[in-house]
Amino acid sequence: MDETSTTDLVDLVRRAQRGDEEALHDLIVTYQNRVAGFVFAITNRRDQVEDLSQQVFIKMVRAIGGLQAPSQFESWLFRLARNTCIDQLRRQKLRRIFLPFAAEHENIPEPPGAVDTEELDALRHALEHLRPQDRALLALVQEGRSHAEIAAVLSTSVAAVKARLHRAREHLREHYQSHHAP
Amino acid sequence: MHPEEKAWNDLRTAASSRLRPGFAGRVLGAARGPGSGAWAALREAAAACLRPGFAARVLREARGAVMPSYASQFALSAATVVLCLAAVLFLQQRNQRLADERNLAEWRAIVAFAQEIDVPGR
Repeated sequence: MDETSTTDLVDLVRRAQRGDEEALHDLIVTYQNRVAGFVFAITNRRDQVEDLSQQVFIKMVRAIGGLQAPSQFESWLFRLARNTCIDQLRRQKLRRIFLPFAAEHENIPEPPGAVDTEELDALRHALEHLRPQDRALLALVQEGRSHAEIAAVLSTSVAAVKARLHRAREHLREHYQSHHAP
Repeated sequence: MHPEEKAWNDLRTAASSRLRPGFAGRVLGAARGPGSGAWAALREAAAACLRPGFAARVLREARGAVMPSYASQFALSAATVVLCLAAVLFLQQRNQRLADERNLAEWRAIVAFAQEIDVPGR
């Protein structure tokens, strides 16, 4: 992001912090596709994308007033998104323990109509084989977050982020190859 | 064309006809892992999941649904406890009163019967 757009974003965030509805609306419109992509990368479920993205932005609207550094808005928003998705996956896991048929209900095939391209199909197949935390890690990198920012999000060191990222990329490539063989 | 050369050409043609379109791209993709195109396709697919008017819906939901505060949740719990205790006390007192009335009635009956059989000169 260049300097002008960073200034514009900071200004937009400040206005949103003062409760300006239009600024909040603009922020949501600006980030909705990126957040949706991020949510999709972590959950790998089309039917959860809108619901979880909505939860992320509702949290954003309620908590933006407490954001200390408006320039850190993007990494803050993606941290919210990551935590929301991981919490949702944890809740689903718990439900599977206590409700015997929950897994069957949650694994209903996606409705027909959305046909993935070969490339997207291979990526989704590869992501399916990764742990949610690793999917989130790769998605954060795709969103342009630096290693230092990711380390702050995950409360870990930059070296640990690099090591985890290397392993996650290896796994992704491995499963991508198996599904995307020429 | 020399027959041997023609045979090699036929072999190449037959072999290459077995490769699906986009072979080179797939080889590169498999070797390098998912590229930016795959991630862009993922983002596009996700964006397509959002129905029109998403931002307006989020703002409406955020303003409409009021999150209960800890204080209000505690107050609700306390009110529930008070109501339950009041109900228990009320029922307990009511049962006690009914039992007392029943016992008194029985005692009165016993006293009346005792007075009846204790009449002097009988």
